[in-house]
Amino acid sequence: MCGIAGYFHKTEGDAPIGAVLLSMLNALARRGPDSAGAALYGHGEPRGEICWIKLDELADHGRSEATVLERLAPGARALSHARHGALLRIVLQRDEPVRDLCARVERDGCEVISLGRSLELVKEVGAPDNLTAVLDLSTFRGTHGIGHTRLSTESKVDLSHSQPFWARGIPDLATVHNGHITNYDRLRRVYEGRGYRFFTHNDSEVIAVYLAHLISHGRTFEEALRSSLDDFDGSFTYLAATASEFGYARDPFAFKPLITVETEHAVAIANEEIAIRSALGDAGVAHEPSGHIYRVWRRAPVRVQVPA
Amino acid sequence: MIAEATIVDCAGRAIREINRAIRAGLDAGRPVRVAGPGARHNIGVALLREGTVTVDGSAGYYCGGMNDGATIEIKGSAGWGVAEGMLSGLVTVEGNAGNAAAASIRGGTVVVRGDCASRAGIAMKGGLLLIGGDAGYMTGFMMQRGAVVICGDAGDALADSMYEGVVFVGGSVASLGNDAVIMELDAADERMLAEAFERHHVPRPKELRKIVAGRKLWNFERTEMATWREAL
Repeated sequence: MCGIAGYFHKTEGDAPIGAVLLSMLNALARRGPDSAGAALYGHGEPRGEICWIKLDELADHGRSEATVLERLAPGARALSHARHGALLRIVLQRDEPVRDLCARVERDGCEVISLGRSLELVKEVGAPDNLTAVLDLSTFRGTHGIGHTRLSTESKVDLSHSQPFWARGIPDLATVHNGHITNYDRLRRVYEGRGYRFFTHNDSEVIAVYLAHLISHGRTFEEALRSSLDDFDGSFTYLAATASEFGYARDPFAFKPLITVETEHAVAIANEEIAIRSALGDAGVAHEPSGHIYRVWRRAPVRVQVPA
Repeated sequence: MIAEATIVDCAGRAIREINRAIRAGLDAGRPVRVAGPGARHNIGVALLREGTVTVDGSAGYYCGGMNDGATIEIKGSAGWGVAEGMLSGLVTVEGNAGNAAAASIRGGTVVVRGDCASRAGIAMKGGLLLIGGDAGYMTGFMMQRGAVVICGDAGDALADSMYEGVVFVGGSVASLGNDAVIMELDAADERMLAEAFERHHVPRPKELRKIVAGRKLWNFERTEMATWREAL
């Protein structure tokens, strides 16, 4: 089944995104008991980008961490770093393209799972509450976020295969998916032929690669969501977000549930209204869109305060 | 004298317990109010007697499924499969409904004051589905009997592959489904519609179109190969 949830704060200021999303994911936990994850858009770090890296799960995490930090040079340098299990969070400065940094770091079982000015991306095998050991969701404030609870149907259960997926190469762009992309094999061959690297056998990964490809070729976030309606086959309801945008896209047959509630202050989206009610209470009227549809919400980008 | 309502609070209770309490309320001849539903799934499933149940908010999937006689009012929205497989009774949704509203009902009435998502009235075998707003993709798909009334607009493939039954639409139709044909309304239709709009307090659209099965898919015809390919 899989559960997907998203919350977008429409007005000025921020909202307790971490607590809201955790509450939504807990309500969707039985849709996906295998793993959980969240992509949260916060206030970022004043001097650098945030990079989450999955370390080599089979090796000593401390040694894997040291290797990753060594490999940041010469194109990037860490301002700070902290490790939580197999996940390493680095605040870094970079003067090279993202793909060059990824190419150096992504060896020996290590994988960059997110990079951006405001994106924090965490995932863990098991229930949504496991995420709190990695990032303190109860106090996390930000503007929006998307999350996932996974029921694996066709690929293995581990940290890499968990969602959200970062659109590798595009800072701050992440996606979560419920469904099955049936032309995954063909799309994967096409994108591998164009030089994209896949880290999993999860068909949802191709959505992130697809969005990254279109946006790196000058298409807007909205255009990418729109064209995906015709380029993907199968059942898909997915959410995607950048630092300032948030949206959903849904297959023509509306195979997977998608409920939206929009109020003056926020947009909440989930497969089941029960998740929205656990976060919003009784506010707003739930609506299920039909199929072959996408929608995008935008806000002014969060201004990063740079100290003098 | 109106009997005092039984309040069933959902907080902290399993859905079986909630449904047992609803049934106990109806057995005692009292109206039931379901408080704090929080869009929980399977509320008021298989209620097999007359009585009134008010859901004070949104309901999740399959609310009122297999209903046989009860009147269920959902004050918020309803998730997938509201009133699925109903035999008789009335289910009213004040908000919107998710996919497959009134799927396979054999009798009774489902009123959705807002919009329905995709496949509303799929495989209906009787009864009435009255939609105050718009209806999504494939409404009335494979209907066998009964009526669907859409006051607003209808999505693609409306009334696709129906056996029998009838769909009325007040607004625009994105596209008709396979073997769906438009017919003139007759006096019996007008009477049925007038009675339904009045009874359920739904404003009648200015004009209504009637859509039925063209019956070309009832029997296989080699000459109709193109239609069959499309339908299958």
